[in-house]
Amino acid sequence: MRDTYLWLLQLVTGSLIIVFLAVHMVMMHLDNIVGFFGGHIDEPSFWSSMIDRATKGWWLTFYISFLALVLYHALYGLRGIVLEVTPSGRTERVVTGMIWAVGLGAFALGVYAPVHLFTR
Amino acid sequence: MDTVMQIRFKVQRYNPENGAAPRMDEFVVPAPRGMTVLDGLFYIRDNLDSTLAVRSSCRMAICGSCAMLINNFPHLACHTQIAELKAGTIEVRPLPNFPIIKDLVVDLTPLFEKHKAVKPYLIRSDVEEMEDPTAEFLQTPEELDAYLQFSYCIKCGLCLAACPTVATDTPFLGPQALAQCYRYCGDSRDDGAKERFPTVDREHGLWGCHFAGACSEACPKGLDPALAIQLLKRLRVSRALGLGRKRRPTPVASPPTTRQPKLPVPEFTVEVGANPPEK
Repeated sequence: MRDTYLWLLQLVTGSLIIVFLAVHMVMMHLDNIVGFFGGHIDEPSFWSSMIDRATKGWWLTFYISFLALVLYHALYGLRGIVLEVTPSGRTERVVTGMIWAVGLGAFALGVYAPVHLFTR
Repeated sequence: MDTVMQIRFKVQRYNPENGAAPRMDEFVVPAPRGMTVLDGLFYIRDNLDSTLAVRSSCRMAICGSCAMLINNFPHLACHTQIAELKAGTIEVRPLPNFPIIKDLVVDLTPLFEKHKAVKPYLIRSDVEEMEDPTAEFLQTPEELDAYLQFSYCIKCGLCLAACPTVATDTPFLGPQALAQCYRYCGDSRDDGAKERFPTVDREHGLWGCHFAGACSEACPKGLDPALAIQLLKRLRVSRALGLGRKRRPTPVASPPTTRQPKLPVPEFTVEVGANPPEK
């Protein structure tokens, strides 16, 4: 049952990443195209723009959610690959523990920057 | 008149008992039209090297005994004509992902163990009816179609030999066992999914499949084990989430309104223990 939910979550995160990635790509790299359709994004990669976004709660939620989705999706896939080449009950526990540690560490590091900017 | 081609066979030879490394032996075999790779191997064994170990039985793609790697693709040797390979040299190796017993004969025990693990038989709660049936279980043609193609599996092991996951992940159940799990879970007469799911619902089971599709490409009976695995994933997820149509296993057919009386058993015409007549 546990593996069913883990796999299902992989599907759900994959689907959500498509949406989040689309928003990110449009925001950061397709500002010219948005401008062509009448929209306006003010130089998204400039420091001032980043600081401006960091003060908005919506963007903070977006970035943290995006990070969690990507980390889960990538690390579940990595776990599957590692387990496939090291198949045994003992390595399964060790690999899963290491993946959890890497995931939580990366998440904490990734959350620190936007939260710090938001609360400063 | 058909010309007889001369085909070069390169055959892997290996005997784990003598410890020597595997080697490739070459033989030239006259190959008339219609000759199969298995016929070529029989020719070698009968005329060129009687120590060659090959396993076969039916010669008509029913038993699955002669599965091997022919020109780097898993085939049944009896189901592969030499002409269709369109090659002057045919390289024959034992099936990968299985331990070798000798030369082209592999040990299929892992296949049968994994197959047995998924309980490949009908499981129902009405045990009495299963053990002492009063009539057949009802099933519509549509319900039969849901699993029919998967019941054609001959357990040859070609799908496991082709599977890239089995190559690295030895405990992975593999396409044969997973497809057979769906063959029974998808059968309207069966109610054993709950008993089979603990075996397949794990990283080295259902969720280890990458959907490479090599199993479906290799199957000599035209089955699509990769499809069965995806259908089994859907069934597992829908059961876990409580989605989908709930069905009970199909009932036993109603008894006929009139029964034909059984033929009476004839009385013994020979007295037991009587002396044989004198000649």
